[in-house]
Amino acid sequence: MTDRAGPIPRAPMSQRAPRPYNLVAELTYRCPLRCAYCSNPIAYRDVPETVDAASWGRTFREAAALGVVHVGLTGGEPGVRTDLVEIVGEAARTGLYTHLVTAGTTLGASDLEELQTAGLKSVQLSIQDTLPDAADAVAGVPVFERKLAFGKQVRALGLPLSLNVVLHRGNLGRIPEIVEMARQLDAHRLELANTQYHGWALRNRTALLPTRQQLEKAAAAVASARRAASRPEILFVLPDYFSSRPKPCMGGWARRTMVVAPDGRVFPCHGASEIAGLEFWSIKDRSLADCWAAAPGMNAYRGFAWMPEPCRSCPERERDFGGCRCQAFALTGDAAATDPACEFSDQHYIVLESRRAAETHNQRPAFVYRGDHLE
Amino acid sequence: MSAPRSRDEFEADLRRVGEERYHHRHPFNLRMHDGTLTRAEIQTWVRNRYYYQTRIPIKDGLILAKASDRRFRREWIRRIRDHDGERVGEGGLELWLILAEAVGLVRAEVEGLGGVLPGARRACDAYVEFVESHDLLESVASSLTELFAGDIMAVRIAAFEKHYPWVASEGLRYFASRTTQAPRDAAEGLKFVLRESRSREEQDRCLAALERKCQILWSLLDAVEVAHASPALSPHAQLRDEQPALVVLPERAVQINESGREILGLCDGARNSLAIAGELHRRHPETEGVETDVHDFLEEMQRLGVLALRR
Repeated sequence: MTDRAGPIPRAPMSQRAPRPYNLVAELTYRCPLRCAYCSNPIAYRDVPETVDAASWGRTFREAAALGVVHVGLTGGEPGVRTDLVEIVGEAARTGLYTHLVTAGTTLGASDLEELQTAGLKSVQLSIQDTLPDAADAVAGVPVFERKLAFGKQVRALGLPLSLNVVLHRGNLGRIPEIVEMARQLDAHRLELANTQYHGWALRNRTALLPTRQQLEKAAAAVASARRAASRPEILFVLPDYFSSRPKPCMGGWARRTMVVAPDGRVFPCHGASEIAGLEFWSIKDRSLADCWAAAPGMNAYRGFAWMPEPCRSCPERERDFGGCRCQAFALTGDAAATDPACEFSDQHYIVLESRRAAETHNQRPAFVYRGDHLE
Repeated sequence: MSAPRSRDEFEADLRRVGEERYHHRHPFNLRMHDGTLTRAEIQTWVRNRYYYQTRIPIKDGLILAKASDRRFRREWIRRIRDHDGERVGEGGLELWLILAEAVGLVRAEVEGLGGVLPGARRACDAYVEFVESHDLLESVASSLTELFAGDIMAVRIAAFEKHYPWVASEGLRYFASRTTQAPRDAAEGLKFVLRESRSREEQDRCLAALERKCQILWSLLDAVEVAHASPALSPHAQLRDEQPALVVLPERAVQINESGREILGLCDGARNSLAIAGELHRRHPETEGVETDVHDFLEEMQRLGVLALRR
């Protein structure tokens, strides 16, 4: 990747870092799935997996001291870590609400029971689709049936289950079926997450980006499902490619959530490592508090001082925090640019053009799968 | 554009909405007819449903104001007369107050809308707002829940006689009056809706209006039901007594202010919502609307998964 980032603003040293509430612990980038919209870094193979269970334990204790209350253990697929039970135990002993984000293909019923005994409080399971073939086509491997079985095991143990279904043009027409699947699995929550076009998803944007009509029908289906029953709680927001304003990505850069990568580096989100030229620090070299509060990359887009116009004087900045820096970088080459999803961006045409392309093309190009060779 | 349904198909679709969504299937109604409601639950229902009764003539007045056909108005105005009575001591509202007394409530309190739950008030107000903001056809369609009211009334009278003998038979006169009024009103409304819905689109809007009305009746019973359930911290929630307090849940944390924390402290799984609201009112007699605030807070906490209900 070429380095096209603009000058990096220097953070004022006096700036007090906000309290983080949530820690996303990326235990590994290994995963048996090859999803066409994987949000792991494109160069995930270059990231060494060097944080052992004891170091995760130290990280959790430091996080709790900073005010973190919730930890999501994720990846890649956290289930491939042979020391997962130990890691869950470390998190639970610290008093953090311990949540597992998994594809559900590597853990059996007895593993789950062990994790629960170690202190696991809740599980998020990703499912690609309701049609086995379509689901497996996105995942790149046949996993659908295994995932359903895993979801049932989660509920059988009494753990709260949330389902995460990433939406794209291939499955947006099946919202009622997806909701029904969530009901069948007795999920508490259903996250209908519209694909975010970074990483692999950006490579597959033409194959994934829906039409506005598909989205409107999906939104109506969500509304009708919400009226019919209060459970599962359904999360669905119109994707920023189709609304006029950017999303409040992560609730603001390095404001609420910290992400620790498998190599120990601390990021404000799972995409930030893709932004060229930002310096982030690692828990292997420094305290978590330092990595959070003082790393130049963390302070690069904290608060409002870094904003260009029209963001800086826009009242919406209090709501959207300037949108997504990773998206700004991926689409414009400048992470400090106004998020092109915003109608006030002078580069909004990038989003409009891809939207137009989605309206006109009928043939779906083949997916590039995670792990495929990329130019 | 799809072709309109045949008259029979359209009527069948309307009836299907009722069969699936009308509140005869609500758990509270099922319990009422099974005879398992407590005296206090019946009282709460009567108190809150009175608010609904007071909205009906207002709703019918709005419908009248939309109609330009005098034959329609001549028919429709009878509903207001039925409800308000021709003179003092008559009419559906009066019969409901007699029911209120028969279940042990103080007439003046019920008439003054004391103890109407915020959820019930919202549901009833939503009905009036619906009629205000929709056209004559949809407004009439929304009244078609009456198609299903006649049957439920007959069941109700039998259930009250059998299971709640402490309610004086005088109190059941309202139900009896509706067994004849509701089918007649419904037949008129149905005839109008079947005749006036000419396009598929109009038929769809009528079905949606009826569905919306079913939801409104359903949420009225939800509010009553929840008031008698006992909230407790969900087993999946972790309460952290920081300043301010924080409840951590799967993928969510909820900040609780000081008064919310006080309410949560009373959610022990034994006290019901009414008792919690009553206790808060006792502690803060000077604060206006404290009971409404408590019910709103409890409802929000249930929605977020902070509280789970026990019956």
